[in-house]
Amino acid sequence: MAVQFSQETYRQFEEVLTHYPTKRAALLPTFWLAQEEFGYLSPEVMEYIAQLLDLSPAYVAAVASFYTMFDKEPKGKFHLQVCTNLSCTLVGAQQIVECLEQKLGIKLGETTPDGKFSLSEVECLGSCGTAPVLQLNTGDYYENLTPERVTQLVEELAKQA
Amino acid sequence: MAERVLLRHLDVPDIHKLDVYLAHGGYAAARKALTTLTPEQVTEQVKASNLRGRGGAGFVAGMKWGFLPKDSPKPVYLCCNADESEPGTFKDRAIIEWNTHILLEGILITAYAIKCHTAYIYIRGEFAFGARRLHEAIAEAYKAGFLGKNIFGTGFDLDVYVHRGAGAYICGEETGLIESLEGKRAYPRIKPPFPATYGLFGCPTIVNNVETLACVPSIIANGPEWFKSIGPEGSPGPKIYCVSGHVEKPGLYELPMGMPLRTVIYDYAGGIRGGKKLKAVMPGGSSFPVLTPDEIDVHMDFDSMRKINAFLGTAGIIVMDEDTCMVRALEIIDRFYHHESCGQCSPCREGTGWLHKLLLRLEEGNGRPEDIDLMDRIAGNMMGNTVCVLADAAAMPTQSFLSKFRDEFVAHVTLGRCPLKKNGTGHRQAA
Amino acid sequence: MPKLTIDGREVTVEDGVNVIQAAERLGIEVPHYCYHPGLSISGNCRMCLVEIEKMPKLQIACNTKVAEGMVVYTRTPKVKAAQEAVLEFLLINHPIDCPICDQAGECKLQDYYMDYGAYKSRFPLEAKVRKRKVVDLGPHVVLDQERCILCARCTRFLDEVTKTSELGIFSRGDRCYIDLFPGKRLENPYSANVVDVCPVGALTHKDFRFKARVWYLEKTQSICTRCANGCNIDIYHRRGEMFRFRPRYNPHVNQYWMCDEGRLWYKALQQESRLTRPLLRGAQGFTAVTWDQAVNWVIEAITQAQATTTSGESAVAGIVGAKATNEEAYLCLRLLTSSCGTELVAGLSWSPPQAFADDFLIKADKNPNTRGLQALGLLNGKVAVTHILDAAEKGTIQVLVVFAADLVTALGREAVEKALGNVKVIVLDTDYSGTTEYADIVLPIGTVAETDGTYTNYAGRVQRVRQAFPPPGEAKTGWEALSLLHAKLGGASYLSAAEVFAELAQTVPVFAGLTYGKLGNHGVPLASLLPEEVRGAASA
Repeated sequence: MAVQFSQETYRQFEEVLTHYPTKRAALLPTFWLAQEEFGYLSPEVMEYIAQLLDLSPAYVAAVASFYTMFDKEPKGKFHLQVCTNLSCTLVGAQQIVECLEQKLGIKLGETTPDGKFSLSEVECLGSCGTAPVLQLNTGDYYENLTPERVTQLVEELAKQA
Repeated sequence: MAERVLLRHLDVPDIHKLDVYLAHGGYAAARKALTTLTPEQVTEQVKASNLRGRGGAGFVAGMKWGFLPKDSPKPVYLCCNADESEPGTFKDRAIIEWNTHILLEGILITAYAIKCHTAYIYIRGEFAFGARRLHEAIAEAYKAGFLGKNIFGTGFDLDVYVHRGAGAYICGEETGLIESLEGKRAYPRIKPPFPATYGLFGCPTIVNNVETLACVPSIIANGPEWFKSIGPEGSPGPKIYCVSGHVEKPGLYELPMGMPLRTVIYDYAGGIRGGKKLKAVMPGGSSFPVLTPDEIDVHMDFDSMRKINAFLGTAGIIVMDEDTCMVRALEIIDRFYHHESCGQCSPCREGTGWLHKLLLRLEEGNGRPEDIDLMDRIAGNMMGNTVCVLADAAAMPTQSFLSKFRDEFVAHVTLGRCPLKKNGTGHRQAA
Repeated sequence: MPKLTIDGREVTVEDGVNVIQAAERLGIEVPHYCYHPGLSISGNCRMCLVEIEKMPKLQIACNTKVAEGMVVYTRTPKVKAAQEAVLEFLLINHPIDCPICDQAGECKLQDYYMDYGAYKSRFPLEAKVRKRKVVDLGPHVVLDQERCILCARCTRFLDEVTKTSELGIFSRGDRCYIDLFPGKRLENPYSANVVDVCPVGALTHKDFRFKARVWYLEKTQSICTRCANGCNIDIYHRRGEMFRFRPRYNPHVNQYWMCDEGRLWYKALQQESRLTRPLLRGAQGFTAVTWDQAVNWVIEAITQAQATTTSGESAVAGIVGAKATNEEAYLCLRLLTSSCGTELVAGLSWSPPQAFADDFLIKADKNPNTRGLQALGLLNGKVAVTHILDAAEKGTIQVLVVFAADLVTALGREAVEKALGNVKVIVLDTDYSGTTEYADIVLPIGTVAETDGTYTNYAGRVQRVRQAFPPPGEAKTGWEALSLLHAKLGGASYLSAAEVFAELAQTVPVFAGLTYGKLGNHGVPLASLLPEEVRGAASA
């Protein structure tokens, strides 16, 4: 099989297995490890996970498809996910989306041709008191957003890339 | 209230760190529980405190624990529900990130009470920072002997694991959470059996919300009477109110349970932004009926809310001013349930999408007069007929918006456009 | 045994039965999609909602176990409204392409729409969720994702019965769809059962697609003869042509299932090679003759052989294949032993070496009636087929009757050629075979679909087959043909297979007491023959 965890990740995988009485319960943590290591969950990666956990590949893929944070295809290096649920929309999430679309030259759900940025809208991130908010990749939140703030963020990230 | 309990980090900086937490009396309640009380006595105290579940349902926590079978040969599991995803709700996140050890202490005491030796904190995937904080705090607690083997020398063992979700609202439903933890699609289970008898891995299981568990140490430390003295007797204790939307000071407010909604909005959250008029409030997240300005004198506790056919829910108060388009607001709400329906039960799977499409059409100015009653009927047909209450969570706001703001929906049909044309009336793709 | 009341009528049922099953006992239909008695409870379709006294909300009947004193209502306005609503939800994204749907006529959406629905669509077609049509899943099954109502019967079958989990439900909400893992196929030996469990037209069988509208087809209870397991089936047929086999429930044998190979076995039973007329070998090869001519020829051959026998050994011998029914095998035995006075009768149960078998339904023995022949003493080693062939080669026997057996395939052409050069070979069979090439006369008989009879499966269970249609052309059922010969040789003549079976039950002790009536729809095990593996099928 082509894909394989690195030694360090495999060690973490083995550690995760000890948390649960069944192998299957380690599926979501294993997805996280795989996404971290391989960037996204390709069919090859899912087949590898299926083998690691004694599950059928279809089962593994069906579970992965249930959870929106698991990417089934490559995303841009910086995936900007803007919450457009009610609290955020009430205080201007739409302007944030429009600003980002303009700045990046892409629409929601798209990735820039250079593969640097992806833009998505997401449901409530649990940051309604500091709305509008966006999440960068699967990590940090950027809160109390304004068009100026996101413009600045995009510029900073572009420099990093 | 003197010092805050749940949002204590606002009074004591860095309390998420173990040394600071200990310096302010941390883990004393756990020590007291484990070394001086039997598990049954702990359960009794929590029951006596009348602590009601802060996840939204308001079930008496001590009673829930009491449903566990006595002397089960199977292990008992505790799941901390940290899948906070209800729109307008951001209280658990604060506890997890900034008052981390009070949650762990609550888990420790609860695990002791229910004779559980393995607890999982199911945290929504988006809370990456929170998960990191939990890992750090758990490592500290293990090192200090508050987790692991032979805690406080009592022979009681407890392992706590952080389990990250990955973007699915339904994992906040307790059996959806259990299924997800087992490595499955988070389809809520048919009940009965309830988790207390057949839960995680088929074993007796208690699922409690973060805020609920975070209340437990203070009950043990100060006694159930102290807890009951805060707020109304029927649903007492400190409560975090989450205020968002069109208010001057959005944020979290820890106040006694049962505060009048008006007080929370106007006295604490600074009133409506820019001196505008209030139009509508979702008082408990987006899953319950909307309230109009003449309903906001209601007291925010489980029982008072029920009297006006509303729900306390998560106390995620979403405030909408006079410029808000109610069609657009409902479209966002129903888009959310359409996006989050697990797809298991036909009424919810098909109904949430149907409602959302009708609302989009209405918002775009292509609504038909009969659509308004149709939406009401769809919502009615979804309600109460599914495995879990996500269908109800979509139906309740829908029906209340349609009845309380009917004129605005009718105006969209007759004008063929939004009569307000403000506040995010921009078009969008279906979820 | 709790007693409960459903729609005002009392019924007493075993513990553990659900309300759908209890209602069924009273002839009350509780409509359902996701519930299947052979699978775990999923409770997702919400069609089986019923009202139960003392319960505030409607309850799903599939997940409600009966309880003493329970009072159920299945037809109240509240229930009807819920059923109507569920149907409406299921149909809003359904393509409603019944005119081109292969499931038409046996579609639960259609059925329930007529019974519980009756409203007009409130959702314009262009707004429906579009999904993939005609997805090729594997050698047998095609998927239409738009017709799927996500009842999860197929995925549960593959998770719970075959444990192969090739299909999954992907995505969420109304974007959910059934699919394979990329690059994988649905090709386990039982894959086509997903078509049977599918309540709508989402999963169809490639072989049956567009072949016939089901309402034109007749259905006859039978047994699959592909192997010794004896899976219970229904034969779907019209005007003497079979269109498909489908498994029929038998808790002791195959539950609700059958294998893919067996499902297509009907094709092997209606090939070009079918024999439709009695054939007599002349100088120019076979010529068709009448049954009278053929029977007279056979009788003459037998009597001549008996008359000219010198050694005192039998001049007549017989070989009976294990695809013969019990009745046919019994009559062969009667004919040869009583009427021809020979002890030289052997059974032949041949399967290809290393034939596929598993621990579920598929047996390595590819004959439907090996156990039946054993019960009749035909396979107990007393007389071996090779012994008969040796005798034929030596010239001690002059006439060999071969019933439903292909010696060439089983023993090789060389052995057959050597042995059959000097004997008159009388073949009774359904099809041309290697052996008919050595026949002097061929009598055409009917297949399993064309006769009444019984088979005894590997576990010793005697099960009935019923005539779906008469044999083609001038062919006769096997028992009729044998009865004819028997009568001509001075023996009894029989009016029905049941009569043959009644005599068999009287004369062969292990069958004692059995009748067609007693065999019922699920058969009866031969008590004294129970092999160790009897528990096999039911618990597998």
